[in-house]
Amino acid sequence: MTVTTGSLKLYGQQLSSRLLIGSALYPSPLVMKQAILASGSQVVTLSLKRQNPQMNSGAQIWQYIQEIVTQVNGFLLPNTAGCKTAKEAVTLAKMSREIFKTDWIKLEVIGDDYNLQPDPIELLNATEQLLNDGFKVLPYCTDDLVLCQRLYDLGCQVIMPWASPIGTGKGLMNPYNLETIRLRLPDATLILDAGIGKPSDACLAMEMGYDGILLNSAVALADNPVTMAKAFANALTAGEQGYIAGLMQQRQTAHPSTPTLDTPFWHQS
Amino acid sequence: MKIKINGHTFELNSELTNTLTNELENKKSIYLNDALSRYFNNQQQSTFALALNGEFVGKDDYCSTSIKANDSIDILFPIQGG
Repeated sequence: MTVTTGSLKLYGQQLSSRLLIGSALYPSPLVMKQAILASGSQVVTLSLKRQNPQMNSGAQIWQYIQEIVTQVNGFLLPNTAGCKTAKEAVTLAKMSREIFKTDWIKLEVIGDDYNLQPDPIELLNATEQLLNDGFKVLPYCTDDLVLCQRLYDLGCQVIMPWASPIGTGKGLMNPYNLETIRLRLPDATLILDAGIGKPSDACLAMEMGYDGILLNSAVALADNPVTMAKAFANALTAGEQGYIAGLMQQRQTAHPSTPTLDTPFWHQS
Repeated sequence: MKIKINGHTFELNSELTNTLTNELENKKSIYLNDALSRYFNNQQQSTFALALNGEFVGKDDYCSTSIKANDSIDILFPIQGG
Protein backbone atom coordinates (compact mmCIF):
# COMPACT_ATOMS: atom_id res chain seq x y z
CA MET A 1 0.00 0.00 0.00
CA THR A 2 1.92 3.00 -1.24
CA VAL A 3 -0.63 5.72 -1.95
CA THR A 4 -1.98 8.26 0.48
CA THR A 5 -4.62 7.56 3.08
CA GLY A 6 -8.09 7.04 1.71
CA SER A 7 -7.07 7.01 -1.93
CA LEU A 8 -6.60 4.09 -4.27
CA LYS A 9 -4.93 3.84 -7.64
CA LEU A 10 -6.32 1.37 -10.19
CA TYR A 11 -4.31 1.07 -13.38
CA GLY A 12 -3.08 4.63 -12.98
CA GLN A 13 -6.48 6.06 -12.09
CA GLN A 14 -6.49 7.83 -8.74
CA LEU A 15 -9.65 7.31 -6.70
CA SER A 16 -10.73 9.04 -3.50
CA SER A 17 -12.14 5.88 -1.90
CA ARG A 18 -10.77 2.39 -1.40
CA LEU A 19 -14.25 0.89 -1.62
CA LEU A 20 -15.66 -0.55 -4.85
CA ILE A 21 -19.37 -1.25 -4.72
CA GLY A 22 -21.89 -3.33 -6.64
CA SER A 23 -25.19 -2.14 -8.04
CA ALA A 24 -27.27 -5.31 -7.55
CA LEU A 25 -29.75 -6.62 -4.98
CA TYR A 26 -30.86 -3.29 -3.49
CA PRO A 27 -34.50 -2.99 -2.45
CA SER A 28 -34.99 -0.13 -4.91
CA PRO A 29 -33.01 2.04 -7.35
CA LEU A 30 -33.33 4.97 -4.95
CA VAL A 31 -31.81 2.99 -2.08
CA MET A 32 -29.06 1.85 -4.44
CA LYS A 33 -28.25 5.45 -5.26
CA GLN A 34 -28.33 6.57 -1.63
CA ALA A 35 -26.16 3.66 -0.53
CA ILE A 36 -23.56 4.21 -3.25
CA LEU A 37 -23.38 7.90 -2.40
CA ALA A 38 -23.09 7.10 1.31
CA SER A 39 -20.28 4.64 0.66
CA GLY A 40 -18.10 7.31 -0.92
CA SER A 41 -17.13 4.83 -3.62
CA GLN A 42 -16.20 6.03 -7.07
CA VAL A 43 -16.28 2.61 -8.72
CA VAL A 44 -19.60 0.90 -9.42
CA THR A 45 -19.81 -2.62 -10.82
CA LEU A 46 -22.46 -3.74 -13.28
CA SER A 47 -23.04 -6.41 -15.86
CA LEU A 48 -24.63 -7.41 -19.17
CA LYS A 49 -27.53 -9.79 -19.60
CA ARG A 50 -30.10 -10.87 -22.12
CA GLN A 51 -33.29 -8.83 -21.83
CA ASN A 52 -36.39 -8.32 -23.86
CA PRO A 53 -35.89 -4.95 -25.60
CA GLN A 54 -39.63 -4.31 -25.36
CA MET A 55 -39.28 -4.27 -21.55
CA ASN A 56 -37.62 -1.02 -20.69
CA SER A 57 -36.48 -1.90 -17.16
CA GLY A 58 -32.89 -2.47 -18.19
CA ALA A 59 -32.67 0.87 -19.92
CA GLN A 60 -34.01 2.64 -16.85
CA ILE A 61 -31.55 1.11 -14.43
CA TRP A 62 -28.69 1.76 -16.85
CA GLN A 63 -29.71 5.42 -17.00
CA TYR A 64 -29.84 5.52 -13.22
CA ILE A 65 -26.38 3.99 -12.77
CA GLN A 66 -24.96 6.44 -15.28
CA GLU A 67 -26.40 9.34 -13.30
CA ILE A 68 -24.90 8.03 -10.05
CA VAL A 69 -21.46 7.52 -11.56
CA THR A 70 -21.54 11.00 -13.05
CA GLN A 71 -22.57 12.46 -9.71
CA VAL A 72 -19.61 10.89 -7.88
CA ASN A 73 -17.20 11.62 -10.72
CA GLY A 74 -16.72 7.88 -10.81
CA PHE A 75 -16.09 4.91 -13.03
CA LEU A 76 -17.93 1.84 -14.24
CA LEU A 77 -16.45 -1.58 -13.64
CA PRO A 78 -18.29 -4.15 -15.78
CA ASN A 79 -18.03 -7.78 -14.77
CA THR A 80 -18.18 -11.07 -16.65
CA ALA A 81 -20.55 -12.74 -14.20
CA GLY A 82 -22.00 -16.03 -15.37
CA CYS A 83 -19.12 -16.94 -17.67
CA LYS A 84 -17.70 -20.43 -17.32
CA THR A 85 -15.06 -20.47 -20.03
CA ALA A 86 -12.33 -18.13 -21.16
CA LYS A 87 -14.05 -17.82 -24.54
CA GLU A 88 -17.32 -16.67 -22.96
CA ALA A 89 -15.52 -14.21 -20.70
CA VAL A 90 -13.47 -12.72 -23.52
CA THR A 91 -16.58 -12.25 -25.66
CA LEU A 92 -18.49 -10.63 -22.80
CA ALA A 93 -15.56 -8.37 -21.97
CA LYS A 94 -15.46 -7.12 -25.55
CA MET A 95 -19.20 -6.47 -25.49
CA SER A 96 -18.80 -4.58 -22.22
CA ARG A 97 -15.99 -2.47 -23.61
CA GLU A 98 -18.16 -1.37 -26.49
CA ILE A 99 -21.18 -0.47 -24.36
CA PHE A 100 -19.48 1.02 -21.32
CA LYS A 101 -16.55 2.55 -23.14
CA THR A 102 -14.03 1.32 -20.59
CA ASP A 103 -11.17 -1.12 -20.84
CA TRP A 104 -11.54 -2.06 -17.19
CA ILE A 105 -13.05 -5.50 -16.69
CA LYS A 106 -13.79 -7.40 -13.50
CA LEU A 107 -12.99 -10.83 -14.83
CA GLU A 108 -15.08 -13.66 -13.43
CA VAL A 109 -14.82 -17.18 -14.82
CA ILE A 110 -16.74 -19.56 -12.63
CA GLY A 111 -15.66 -23.18 -12.31
CA ASP A 112 -18.22 -24.55 -9.89
CA ASP A 113 -21.92 -23.80 -9.59
CA TYR A 114 -22.16 -24.73 -5.92
CA ASN A 115 -19.81 -22.18 -4.47
CA LEU A 116 -19.23 -20.05 -7.57
CA GLN A 117 -15.53 -20.69 -7.22
CA PRO A 118 -13.39 -19.21 -10.00
CA ASP A 119 -11.81 -21.62 -12.47
CA PRO A 120 -8.09 -20.82 -12.23
CA ILE A 121 -7.17 -22.37 -15.59
CA GLU A 122 -9.84 -20.57 -17.59
CA LEU A 123 -9.19 -17.38 -15.61
CA LEU A 124 -5.52 -17.34 -16.55
CA ASN A 125 -6.37 -18.09 -20.16
CA ALA A 126 -8.92 -15.28 -20.36
CA THR A 127 -6.64 -12.86 -18.52
CA GLU A 128 -3.83 -13.41 -20.99
CA GLN A 129 -6.12 -12.89 -23.99
CA LEU A 130 -7.68 -9.75 -22.56
CA LEU A 131 -4.40 -8.16 -21.49
CA ASN A 132 -3.07 -8.78 -25.00
CA ASP A 133 -6.17 -7.05 -26.34
CA GLY A 134 -5.55 -3.93 -24.28
CA PHE A 135 -7.92 -4.59 -21.38
CA LYS A 136 -7.08 -3.59 -17.85
CA VAL A 137 -8.02 -6.80 -16.09
CA LEU A 138 -9.18 -7.00 -12.47
CA PRO A 139 -9.39 -10.77 -11.99
CA TYR A 140 -11.66 -12.25 -9.33
CA CYS A 141 -9.81 -15.29 -8.00
CA THR A 142 -9.45 -17.60 -5.05
CA ASP A 143 -7.04 -16.88 -2.21
CA ASP A 144 -4.38 -19.05 -3.83
CA LEU A 145 -0.93 -17.47 -3.66
CA VAL A 146 0.43 -19.15 -6.78
CA LEU A 147 -2.63 -18.24 -8.85
CA CYS A 148 -2.33 -14.62 -7.72
CA GLN A 149 1.37 -14.71 -8.57
CA ARG A 150 0.61 -16.04 -12.06
CA LEU A 151 -1.99 -13.33 -12.63
CA TYR A 152 0.49 -10.70 -11.51
CA ASP A 153 3.20 -12.15 -13.75
CA LEU A 154 0.84 -11.98 -16.72
CA GLY A 155 0.53 -8.24 -16.16
CA CYS A 156 -2.43 -7.71 -13.86
CA GLN A 157 -1.70 -4.66 -11.73
CA VAL A 158 -4.82 -5.37 -9.69
CA ILE A 159 -5.72 -8.78 -8.24
CA MET A 160 -8.94 -9.55 -6.40
CA PRO A 161 -8.87 -12.69 -4.24
CA TRP A 162 -12.06 -13.73 -2.55
CA ALA A 163 -12.68 -13.54 1.16
CA SER A 164 -15.24 -16.36 0.82
CA PRO A 165 -17.77 -17.45 -1.82
CA ILE A 166 -19.89 -14.76 -3.47
CA GLY A 167 -22.88 -13.69 -1.43
CA THR A 168 -22.16 -15.85 1.61
CA GLY A 169 -21.16 -13.05 3.96
CA LYS A 170 -18.84 -15.49 5.71
CA GLY A 171 -15.99 -13.01 5.82
CA LEU A 172 -12.32 -13.93 5.62
CA MET A 173 -12.29 -17.74 5.46
CA ASN A 174 -8.54 -18.04 5.42
CA PRO A 175 -6.74 -15.02 6.84
CA TYR A 176 -3.40 -16.82 6.59
CA ASN A 177 -3.73 -17.17 2.81
CA LEU A 178 -4.74 -13.55 2.42
CA GLU A 179 -1.89 -12.31 4.60
CA THR A 180 0.56 -14.45 2.65
CA ILE A 181 -0.65 -13.02 -0.67
CA ARG A 182 -0.16 -9.51 0.71
CA LEU A 183 3.30 -10.40 1.97
CA ARG A 184 4.44 -12.12 -1.22
CA LEU A 185 3.00 -9.59 -3.68
CA PRO A 186 3.91 -6.27 -2.05
CA ASP A 187 3.67 -4.29 -5.29
CA ALA A 188 0.33 -5.65 -6.51
CA THR A 189 -2.85 -3.71 -5.86
CA LEU A 190 -4.91 -6.19 -3.86
CA ILE A 191 -8.68 -5.80 -3.62
CA LEU A 192 -10.56 -8.22 -1.42
CA ASP A 193 -13.62 -9.27 -3.39
CA ALA A 194 -16.62 -11.38 -2.43
CA GLY A 195 -17.83 -12.91 0.79
CA ILE A 196 -17.52 -9.81 2.94
CA GLY A 197 -20.34 -9.83 5.49
CA LYS A 198 -19.54 -7.27 8.14
CA PRO A 199 -17.71 -3.96 8.34
CA SER A 200 -15.21 -5.67 10.65
CA ASP A 201 -14.36 -8.09 7.79
CA ALA A 202 -13.39 -5.15 5.64
CA CYS A 203 -11.51 -3.56 8.49
CA LEU A 204 -9.52 -6.75 9.05
CA ALA A 205 -8.49 -6.93 5.40
CA MET A 206 -7.40 -3.30 5.44
CA GLU A 207 -5.39 -3.94 8.63
CA MET A 208 -3.57 -6.64 6.65
CA GLY A 209 -2.55 -4.03 4.13
CA TYR A 210 -5.09 -4.74 1.42
CA ASP A 211 -5.55 -1.81 -0.93
CA GLY A 212 -9.32 -1.94 -1.14
CA ILE A 213 -12.55 -3.85 -0.82
CA LEU A 214 -15.17 -4.77 -3.42
CA LEU A 215 -18.56 -5.71 -2.04
CA ASN A 216 -22.24 -5.70 -2.86
CA SER A 217 -24.45 -8.05 -0.85
CA ALA A 218 -23.25 -6.90 2.57
CA VAL A 219 -24.59 -3.43 1.86
CA ALA A 220 -27.52 -4.20 -0.44
CA LEU A 221 -28.97 -6.91 1.82
CA ALA A 222 -28.54 -5.02 5.10
CA ASP A 223 -31.67 -3.91 6.91
CA ASN A 224 -30.55 -0.37 6.21
CA PRO A 225 -28.22 -0.34 3.18
CA VAL A 226 -27.45 3.36 3.42
CA THR A 227 -26.28 3.20 7.02
CA MET A 228 -24.37 0.00 6.26
CA ALA A 229 -22.61 1.72 3.37
CA LYS A 230 -21.42 4.41 5.77
CA ALA A 231 -20.34 1.76 8.25
CA PHE A 232 -18.20 0.10 5.58
CA ALA A 233 -16.66 3.41 4.59
CA ASN A 234 -15.71 4.00 8.23
CA ALA A 235 -14.42 0.44 8.60
CA LEU A 236 -12.10 0.84 5.62
CA THR A 237 -10.73 4.06 7.04
CA ALA A 238 -10.18 2.48 10.46
CA GLY A 239 -8.46 -0.56 9.01
CA GLU A 240 -6.27 1.46 6.69
CA GLN A 241 -5.19 3.83 9.42
CA GLY A 242 -4.50 0.87 11.69
CA TYR A 243 -2.27 -0.67 9.04
CA ILE A 244 -0.42 2.58 8.44
CA ALA A 245 0.01 3.16 12.19
CA GLY A 246 1.57 -0.29 12.55
CA LEU A 247 -0.11 -2.96 14.62
CA MET A 248 1.66 -4.15 17.75
CA GLN A 249 3.19 -7.58 17.70
CA GLN A 250 1.10 -10.26 19.36
CA ARG A 251 2.68 -11.80 22.44
CA GLN A 252 2.29 -15.22 23.88
CA THR A 253 2.05 -14.14 27.52
CA ALA A 254 0.37 -11.37 29.46
CA HIS A 255 2.20 -8.14 30.07
CA PRO A 256 0.80 -5.59 32.53
CA SER A 257 -0.23 -2.31 30.99
CA THR A 258 0.08 -0.45 34.27
CA PRO A 259 3.68 0.17 35.34
CA THR A 260 4.77 -2.35 37.95
CA LEU A 261 7.26 -0.02 39.59
CA ASP A 262 6.02 1.29 42.96
CA THR A 263 3.05 -1.03 43.09
CA PRO A 264 1.19 -0.92 46.46
CA PHE A 265 3.14 -2.48 49.33
CA TRP A 266 0.69 -5.28 49.95
CA HIS A 267 1.73 -6.92 46.65
CA GLN A 268 5.38 -6.95 47.59
CA SER A 269 6.98 -9.90 49.36
CA MET B 1 -34.46 -18.93 -42.75
CA LYS B 2 -34.45 -19.60 -39.02
CA ILE B 3 -32.01 -18.02 -36.62
CA LYS B 4 -31.88 -17.74 -32.86
CA ILE B 5 -31.81 -14.47 -30.96
CA ASN B 6 -31.21 -14.76 -27.22
CA GLY B 7 -32.22 -18.39 -27.40
CA HIS B 8 -35.54 -17.80 -29.17
CA THR B 9 -36.10 -18.93 -32.74
CA PHE B 10 -36.94 -16.25 -35.29
CA GLU B 11 -38.16 -16.88 -38.79
CA LEU B 12 -36.84 -14.29 -41.17
CA ASN B 13 -39.67 -14.66 -43.64
CA SER B 14 -42.31 -12.09 -42.85
CA GLU B 15 -42.11 -8.46 -43.89
CA LEU B 16 -38.36 -8.66 -43.81
CA THR B 17 -38.38 -11.54 -46.26
CA ASN B 18 -40.10 -9.45 -48.85
CA THR B 19 -37.01 -7.35 -49.12
CA LEU B 20 -34.63 -10.15 -48.40
CA THR B 21 -36.13 -12.43 -51.02
CA ASN B 22 -35.18 -10.05 -53.71
CA GLU B 23 -31.74 -9.77 -52.25
CA LEU B 24 -31.42 -13.53 -52.05
CA GLU B 25 -32.51 -13.91 -55.62
CA ASN B 26 -29.76 -11.49 -56.46
CA LYS B 27 -27.47 -13.71 -54.40
CA LYS B 28 -26.91 -11.02 -51.83
CA SER B 29 -26.34 -11.86 -48.20
CA ILE B 30 -28.54 -11.25 -45.19
CA TYR B 31 -26.77 -9.09 -42.68
CA LEU B 32 -26.92 -8.73 -38.93
CA ASN B 33 -28.66 -5.41 -39.32
CA ASP B 34 -31.56 -7.19 -41.05
CA ALA B 35 -32.04 -9.54 -38.12
CA LEU B 36 -31.82 -6.66 -35.65
CA SER B 37 -34.59 -4.84 -37.45
CA ARG B 38 -36.82 -7.83 -36.61
CA TYR B 39 -35.86 -7.74 -32.97
CA PHE B 40 -35.97 -4.06 -32.06
CA ASN B 41 -38.75 -1.54 -32.27
CA ASN B 42 -36.16 1.19 -32.16
CA GLN B 43 -32.65 -0.11 -32.46
CA GLN B 44 -31.08 3.34 -32.43
CA GLN B 45 -32.40 4.11 -28.94
CA SER B 46 -31.23 0.85 -27.39
CA THR B 47 -27.96 0.34 -25.55
CA PHE B 48 -26.78 -3.15 -26.39
CA ALA B 49 -23.86 -5.24 -27.59
CA LEU B 50 -23.94 -8.29 -29.79
CA ALA B 51 -22.27 -11.65 -30.26
CA LEU B 52 -22.75 -13.90 -33.26
CA ASN B 53 -22.23 -17.59 -32.55
CA GLY B 54 -20.33 -16.65 -29.40
CA GLU B 55 -18.03 -14.11 -31.06
CA PHE B 56 -18.29 -10.38 -30.42
CA VAL B 57 -19.34 -8.26 -33.38
CA GLY B 58 -18.87 -4.50 -33.10
CA LYS B 59 -21.55 -2.03 -34.09
CA ASP B 60 -19.54 -0.87 -37.06
CA ASP B 61 -19.75 -4.36 -38.53
CA TYR B 62 -23.51 -5.01 -38.27
CA CYS B 63 -24.11 -3.93 -41.84
CA SER B 64 -21.28 -5.97 -43.27
CA THR B 65 -21.55 -9.20 -41.25
CA SER B 66 -23.69 -11.76 -43.02
CA ILE B 67 -25.76 -14.37 -41.23
CA LYS B 68 -26.92 -17.80 -42.28
CA ALA B 69 -29.54 -20.32 -41.18
CA ASN B 70 -29.21 -21.59 -37.62
CA ASP B 71 -26.91 -18.80 -36.56
CA SER B 72 -27.24 -17.77 -32.93
CA ILE B 73 -27.22 -14.11 -31.91
CA ASP B 74 -26.85 -12.88 -28.36
CA ILE B 75 -27.98 -9.32 -27.67
CA LEU B 76 -27.02 -8.10 -24.22
CA PHE B 77 -28.08 -5.04 -22.26
CA PRO B 78 -26.68 -3.27 -19.16
CA ILE B 79 -27.96 -4.58 -15.85
CA GLN B 80 -27.06 -4.27 -12.18
CA GLY B 81 -24.13 -6.40 -11.10
CA GLY B 82 -21.80 -7.09 -8.23
